[in-house]
Amino acid sequence: MSGTIRVEGVSKRFRHWEPNQPMTLQELVLRGWRRRRRDFFWALMDVSFKVAPGRMVGIMGFNGAGKSTLLRLVAGVGRPTNGQVHISGRLGAILELGVGFNPELTGRENIYISGVCSGLTRREVAKRFDSIVAFSELEAFLDYPLRTYSTGMHVRLAFAVASHIEPEVLLIDEVLAVGDLAFQKKCMDRMMSFKHDGCTGLLVTHAPQAVLTMCDDAIWLDRGRMVAYGPAQDVVNQYVEAITRKAGLATPIPQTTPAPITAQAGDGDGHVALV
Amino acid sequence: MLRELLVRDLKLRYKRSYLGIAWTLVNPLAQVVVYSFVFRVLFRVNTPNYTANLFVGITCWAWFQASVLESTVSILSNRDLIRQPGFPAVLLPNVTVGSQLIHFILTLPVLVGLILVSKIPITAAVLWLPFVIAVQYVLTLAFSLLAATVHVNFRDTQYLLGVFLMLGFFLTPILYDMQIVPPQFRAFYHLNPMTYVVDAYRAVLIRGAMPPILALTAVATASGLLLYLCYQLFRRTSANFAEAF
Repeated sequence: MSGTIRVEGVSKRFRHWEPNQPMTLQELVLRGWRRRRRDFFWALMDVSFKVAPGRMVGIMGFNGAGKSTLLRLVAGVGRPTNGQVHISGRLGAILELGVGFNPELTGRENIYISGVCSGLTRREVAKRFDSIVAFSELEAFLDYPLRTYSTGMHVRLAFAVASHIEPEVLLIDEVLAVGDLAFQKKCMDRMMSFKHDGCTGLLVTHAPQAVLTMCDDAIWLDRGRMVAYGPAQDVVNQYVEAITRKAGLATPIPQTTPAPITAQAGDGDGHVALV
Repeated sequence: MLRELLVRDLKLRYKRSYLGIAWTLVNPLAQVVVYSFVFRVLFRVNTPNYTANLFVGITCWAWFQASVLESTVSILSNRDLIRQPGFPAVLLPNVTVGSQLIHFILTLPVLVGLILVSKIPITAAVLWLPFVIAVQYVLTLAFSLLAATVHVNFRDTQYLLGVFLMLGFFLTPILYDMQIVPPQFRAFYHLNPMTYVVDAYRAVLIRGAMPPILALTAVATASGLLLYLCYQLFRRTSANFAEAF
């Protein structure tokens, strides 16, 4: 396994979604082609870093810092406005859970569809099927339609599929905040085993503990710019200090020893698509 | 992956209906019965084999129309797939066109039954059928890609398209034969690629004749070119699909 990620001077500019931008041909025709004032904002400014094979890098930052945008660009979903992203190795991304899931189909059918949509072949899914089911602990519900599943079950099935892609480069967007504590622990263990297998990774998260547990290096993003980049411990310390200052109260700095990850409310970065 | 998505599409469509796939037949059959009644009984059209001709026209047009219409939402309704790294978005319109093709093929046994009942001989010309289908696939896919691309940016494409497709239905020789079109209007009909496609189906299935090879080759070439252009447009736009939701 030898996946690498190289991000060179990446910037991303979004056009502000004007409320009165024409969304329909009708409006466009009625309004004519006259040029409108364009608003831009930079979601990312000149971000560069490199992840060597087998290393994990955590990305931290406040809401709207550009973490998810960065991850998406690395994943090749959308193109950077400036700069380049190079990736070598089989890419597995857990940006959204339950890719290709459909509520009307059974759990079994959904495992196949989601697996294939995530880049496996049908045969590879078949080979891993038992392992996926065992991981999700949903043997008894396999032949019921997905719409009868609880949210937690849904997410478990989704993560079970996503974690069986066996990537060389793994991108994870704050999805660990799912399921009950026991399942979260299982997810963490799974991630750690990826890391032990020499998987290269990027992890977007709010939880400093997760970064300390899993990552070698960390990046702190603020409003699209890299504020800090270095060994995980240093960056986490700076980040926690900043939070503490910002919050104006004394948040205890988390222990460096791997503590069980606490349940963390998502901030909307980790999407669970219930389509 | 295409197969997996196709199966998903078909399964979803018929998951909770009793008649299952038979529903596919109901719509074109009902249309054939109604138009047949209107034109043969009320207007007393006495074109030979009117019903069989009508059937061919309606089913192949249904394939075209349903594909283009459904492709408009194929991108927006598959948000999670579009956001999946490395997912080839161009598959989605293909799934729609492919799934409609399967519906079209399922109506063929009924057509064959109708042809046998009408005592029309089936000749070796029927071997051209796959070629005609292939041409229509390319043509339909080109328009589907275009529709999908435009719809991402302009969300009323679907409604506008409905109007154009209805016009297309009446301005393609589906309910009638080219013969009854006055000569001064024919040039206009010749600009419509579906005219040749419908005629080719009728040639191989009903008239037992070779399809108009030259015209069909021209349509195939033009469709190929159009497909290439639409694909390029689709590819350029698809980089921004993930931001369009």
